[in-house]
Amino acid sequence: MSSRGAAQLWVRLRADDPEAVSALAVARTMDDGRGAPVSLRRFRLVELRGPLPPRAELEALLARSIQFYNPQKEAVRLRLAAGEPAPLEAGERAVLVVERGAVRRPAAERWWAAVTGRAVEVREGVVWALRFAPGTAAARAAARLAVLRDRRRGLLCNPHAEAHRLAGEAVPMPWLTLTRAARGGKP
Amino acid sequence: MTARVAVLQFPGVNCEAEALRAVERAGLRGELFRWTRPAAELRGFQAYVLPGGFSWQDRVRAGALAAKHVLTGALAEQVEERGTPVLGICNGAQVLVESGLVPGGGRVDVALARNRMPDRGGYYAAWVYVRVEASPCVFTRTLAPGTVLPLPVAHAQGRFTSRRPGRLSDLLAHGQVPLRYATVAGDAATAFPDDPNGSDAAAAGVCNAAGTVLALMPHPERALDLGQLARAVGGPWAERRERAREAGGSGSGPGLGLFEGLARHLEEM
Repeated sequence: MSSRGAAQLWVRLRADDPEAVSALAVARTMDDGRGAPVSLRRFRLVELRGPLPPRAELEALLARSIQFYNPQKEAVRLRLAAGEPAPLEAGERAVLVVERGAVRRPAAERWWAAVTGRAVEVREGVVWALRFAPGTAAARAAARLAVLRDRRRGLLCNPHAEAHRLAGEAVPMPWLTLTRAARGGKP
Repeated sequence: MTARVAVLQFPGVNCEAEALRAVERAGLRGELFRWTRPAAELRGFQAYVLPGGFSWQDRVRAGALAAKHVLTGALAEQVEERGTPVLGICNGAQVLVESGLVPGGGRVDVALARNRMPDRGGYYAAWVYVRVEASPCVFTRTLAPGTVLPLPVAHAQGRFTSRRPGRLSDLLAHGQVPLRYATVAGDAATAFPDDPNGSDAAAAGVCNAAGTVLALMPHPERALDLGQLARAVGGPWAERRERAREAGGSGSGPGLGLFEGLARHLEEM
């Protein structure tokens, strides 16, 4: 086992993602002239922190369990360092959404401890990857779409139950641990 | 003339038949109104019911997509312009919260978050008790404050909460929490399973300030008859059920009163 480390598992459906399709369709109906996204993809972001094995062993462990992803219907990208790129396409802005007080995955942590004898922390959130038309102020447009304010504005995060974070050019590593809600902090 | 009540069905809603039956049991004229109909036709109704289910499969968040639908926009206009009553049950409640119609004012002010239950997670279905609180809510107007109703809940995201500390208690103090989870004896619930989801202020239902729009997580339309009560239900309603059974009949269940409140309100309009 390595010393304390972090790993990000970016999980997406192999098939078209109904959540992303619907979210994009609705976002377009909400467009107030300031730019709806031209594409929208969704990932489940699972983050592990603790004494982790080398990549090959880690990949094998993650594939063995039903706690992290379903290899029959989901594709994954494992990211172990900030220098490794997240699976985002050119021009995509990433918005992380987590549920306040419900970020940890105890069942996955129990499975890991039972199989490896080691304790890791497992957290999960949703990443929305948004791409806007050239010339759109992408960061501002992503922020507008992220936070639900009323029936006409915002969609991806109800701030009364969820927290969100926009990534800059580089996606943080770790990311989930950095959010206040993910740390168990008060809203 | 009998008031017309539209029971709105978005794709994924699955409690429309029970909701229609409840409306009609209260003496109103119910009509199923699917998402494919022109929104302008909603103007021909005197009240609306948003039933439970999983509109758009709960994509993004429960109720989030239906809240943006053109029908919900038209419904919001009727609420604002005419004070038209709306009852949102379970997924319907999630739509009302996500659209800012509850607690009202247009801004999204609360959430129906994932249940918080000790040592378990996910979907929870059980009979619970709710207590009627003092409120201008038109749906509880025929029920005295303190009345205890056994009703079924069935949801994974039913926890009323807000990032504003004390917001639900504030709404309760202003009469906007007409129904709270309670014990069979009528004390406010303080823990699971009396409070089945960890709602702030044990809120089971939240209404707008006028009392015309109610977001309610329990399902009154599944409790129209005494014979529908679970065997585990206790208290006065269980005694009524036993008396009715011994007499060889049934009788109106605890959920009907909310629809009768709507009928009374519409009669007086």
